Amino acid sequence: MNAISPELSAGRLQISEIDLCGCIGHAAPGAVVEYHRGFLALDLVPQVTRLPERDRLELGRVARRAWWAADRGLVHLVQRRLGPSAFAYLAVVRPKPRHAAISLSSLLQVDAA
Amino acid sequence: MRSSIPGDDLQILLHEADTFSRRLVRRLRLPRADLDDIRQDLLVDLIARIPAYDPDRGSIGAFAGVVLRNQATRIAAKVNRQRQLHGAVPVSLDEPVPESDGLTRGDLVAEENGLAALLGQPVDAFAEIERRLDVERAMGGLGRADGRLCAELSRATADRLAASGHGARSSLYRRVKDLRLALTAMGLQAA
Repeated sequence: MNAISPELSAGRLQISEIDLCGCIGHAAPGAVVEYHRGFLALDLVPQVTRLPERDRLELGRVARRAWWAADRGLVHLVQRRLGPSAFAYLAVVRPKPRHAAISLSSLLQVDAA
Repeated sequence: MRSSIPGDDLQILLHEADTFSRRLVRRLRLPRADLDDIRQDLLVDLIARIPAYDPDRGSIGAFAGVVLRNQATRIAAKVNRQRQLHGAVPVSLDEPVPESDGLTRGDLVAEENGLAALLGQPVDAFAEIERRLDVERAMGGLGRADGRLCAELSRATADRLAASGHGARSSLYRRVKDLRLALTAMGLQAA
């Protein structure tokens, strides 16, 4: 097994969490948002990454938000291999769900009750 | 030409006219430049009525006060008439419009021209309905606890909610931050 070289983790912060949310919220279905390029699993490890600490923490938030959005059916998460241990991490925007699971009126009435 | 009004009385008349003219300019919110004209109008009328002054009925100052008060009322009425003619007088929106089947002035003002629009509030009813639908759709993607927090935040600030026992202030603000991101991802824009 090859030793993990720090040179592999040369990713940089592509997008902030709020910008990712904005892209997902306002992009048309089918739009592709590249939220990271590198090797995410290593880029998040403080002992390995070459990202400044602040960027590393933000990347963690970005990655969690991308996962959250996929879990909510807002995006599909895919990866494109760019080379050895280098990937482009992509979020493909899905159509927004049409029907609300929670009625705002019912929430407000329950809260007032 | 020698004045028939004694010097002391003249001083009283001038002082009273000056006081009334300043008061009138202030009350009617007239330009400062009109002060001299107003003072002159009051003095001319007052001096013209001096022959009617009877020392047995009161002092010259009291006489001047009565005369000036009446003249000031006439001047104020004239100014208000001119303002009504040129549309510079506040009008009640509840005032009925003549020959309009009971419509009031407020009924004739379009929403786009109202105070709410002037202050940047939304006045498009269709856009409001669409926004309401967007909000419900976005909140449908939240968990029930987050939905309830949104409902509570529609009534009270995070600080008040924390003070009333809905959780620690820091954790409420963290949740609000997370909600902002989540609702942005669902397509809602900040109001």
